[in-house]
Amino acid sequence: MNAPDSVQPEWRVKSANQTRLAYGQALLEIGAREPRAVVVSADTQDLLGIRTYIERFRERFIELGIAEQNAIGVSSGLATTGMRPYVCAYAPFISARSMEQIRNDVAYANQRVVIGAAASGISLGVAGGTHHSLEDLALMRSLPNMNVVVPADVNEAYKATLATLDIDGPVYMRLGGRAEEPPVTGAEAPFRLGKAAQLRPGNDIAVLACGAMVELAVRAADALKKEGIGVRVLNMSSIKPFDRDAVLAAAAETRGIVTAEEHHLTGGLGGMVAELLAVEQPTRMRMVGMPDVFAMVGPTVAVRVKYGMSADGIASACRALLA
Amino acid sequence: MSASTDTLVSRLETHARQVRRDIWRAVRAGGGGHIGGSSSAADILTALYFHRLKIRPQEPRWPDRDRFVLSKGHANAGLGAVLAQAGFIDDAILDKFYAYESPFGMHPDIKMAGVEMCTGALGHGLAIAMGMALGARLQKKSFHTFVMIGDGELHEGSNWEAAMAASHHKLSNLTAIIDFNKVCQSGRVNEVISVDPLADKWRAFGWAVREFDGHDMAEVVDTLDALPIDPHCPTALIAHTVKGKGVSFAEDTYVWHSNSVNDEILAKALLELAEPLQGAQP
Repeated sequence: MNAPDSVQPEWRVKSANQTRLAYGQALLEIGAREPRAVVVSADTQDLLGIRTYIERFRERFIELGIAEQNAIGVSSGLATTGMRPYVCAYAPFISARSMEQIRNDVAYANQRVVIGAAASGISLGVAGGTHHSLEDLALMRSLPNMNVVVPADVNEAYKATLATLDIDGPVYMRLGGRAEEPPVTGAEAPFRLGKAAQLRPGNDIAVLACGAMVELAVRAADALKKEGIGVRVLNMSSIKPFDRDAVLAAAAETRGIVTAEEHHLTGGLGGMVAELLAVEQPTRMRMVGMPDVFAMVGPTVAVRVKYGMSADGIASACRALLA
Repeated sequence: MSASTDTLVSRLETHARQVRRDIWRAVRAGGGGHIGGSSSAADILTALYFHRLKIRPQEPRWPDRDRFVLSKGHANAGLGAVLAQAGFIDDAILDKFYAYESPFGMHPDIKMAGVEMCTGALGHGLAIAMGMALGARLQKKSFHTFVMIGDGELHEGSNWEAAMAASHHKLSNLTAIIDFNKVCQSGRVNEVISVDPLADKWRAFGWAVREFDGHDMAEVVDTLDALPIDPHCPTALIAHTVKGKGVSFAEDTYVWHSNSVNDEILAKALLELAEPLQGAQP
């Protein structure tokens, strides 16, 4: 775990360890740097913390109300004119409801639209299954041209959002909710699309995690270290494109791979790693994530724990592979 | 009608006949296709591309060009026909309709010169056009954005999200043209799901509305020249049209929404679409 900087920048403080707010903070920097940037809201001004952006860049803000399909279509049209739209939306609604607009208007037409998808996974645990977003990675990574990023913490969310300025294509930025995502990546560590970062070295087991699961994977690795088990932890924040070399190296240099994601076990990070390894290098695996049921109602962390998405759950999967 | 308007209308009518012939030619090349909705839109497409739109066929991505989005993307044979005649694409592409690796498939593809967006999944174009109109406003550009929507297409709810938002944002640089040919894939639109009262719906959503005869070229020109109707809101032009217009056996029937075309049928259609004899009244 990185010690917090003694003097934190304003964006870091205002992000309050929530990636959704770090995205909103990064938009302030983007608004200043890129005159073509425009922020599009689907009645989500507080969800992504963009009220300061709106004050500062009123003329480059468009409110579209509770209409996600329209938000995506309009953003695609804006992008064709040379504007750089940044959509602010709820992950469960912008992904599933607007899937056709994202597929056709954004991915197929290959427009530079950045989708900030907050409250992903079971961030809205108490809201129930209508508000959980546990299939969005499967949907988004199945689209040609789409880039998919799942920041592990606010440092990475901020840097990854800034990095979209140089990504020549659409981006789905999967962000968390109100549950804190404690810092796990270094303030100085760069975000590089398509690259995994190794957060812990180890050659017994490799844990490949994304989003909030990264911090839990690090905790699991630190616990297992005390048992004499060396766990390599890779932050797979770049889901598409992803770091094939790092995955293949982890498979070759360890005895098995555990994946961890706040997403259904179908079609997400685990599926992605299994698809590669089944073809290139068959490897024993365990997958931590949401099983094939709709999640129960409950506070985010408690619901995660219930289905094994915890440091203990990840550590158990590691031990099972070594048994 | 002044002499110059008379000449303009006559010129556009000649273009429109060629557009209809090219629609049938393309659909024959593809073995079949959406004759009905391409032909109902043909006169309006002609007036847009040969009179109203500020475009540069030799510079298809000219940033200040007017935009046209064919939301009813299944009328792509009609769009291809005007793009070829206007010089955006090689005329020979019309013979590659549906062909292997062709840029000219059943639905518009942004990779083909002159095409502004990949459309065809219905209910997408209005939101996209709204984004283009906002893009113009944000960049202080004066280009106008047009979108053509099918009447049956208005069953898609996403249109009404965009309709509500476009008037909220007072986009007077946006015009939606409804190709009201009254027929969709399964039969008459108003027997499938009624869209009436259509003008009142658009008015209720905050749009300025004008209805016109989408096959009377003088009226089409007059309507397009009158934009925007209201400088404070977007415009909905409701074009009363006939599905399959121009070829008697294809007119006003869902059978010709999409149908196969062989050489014999093509010959019959082209006979009806032949240029009038010189000196005769059109």
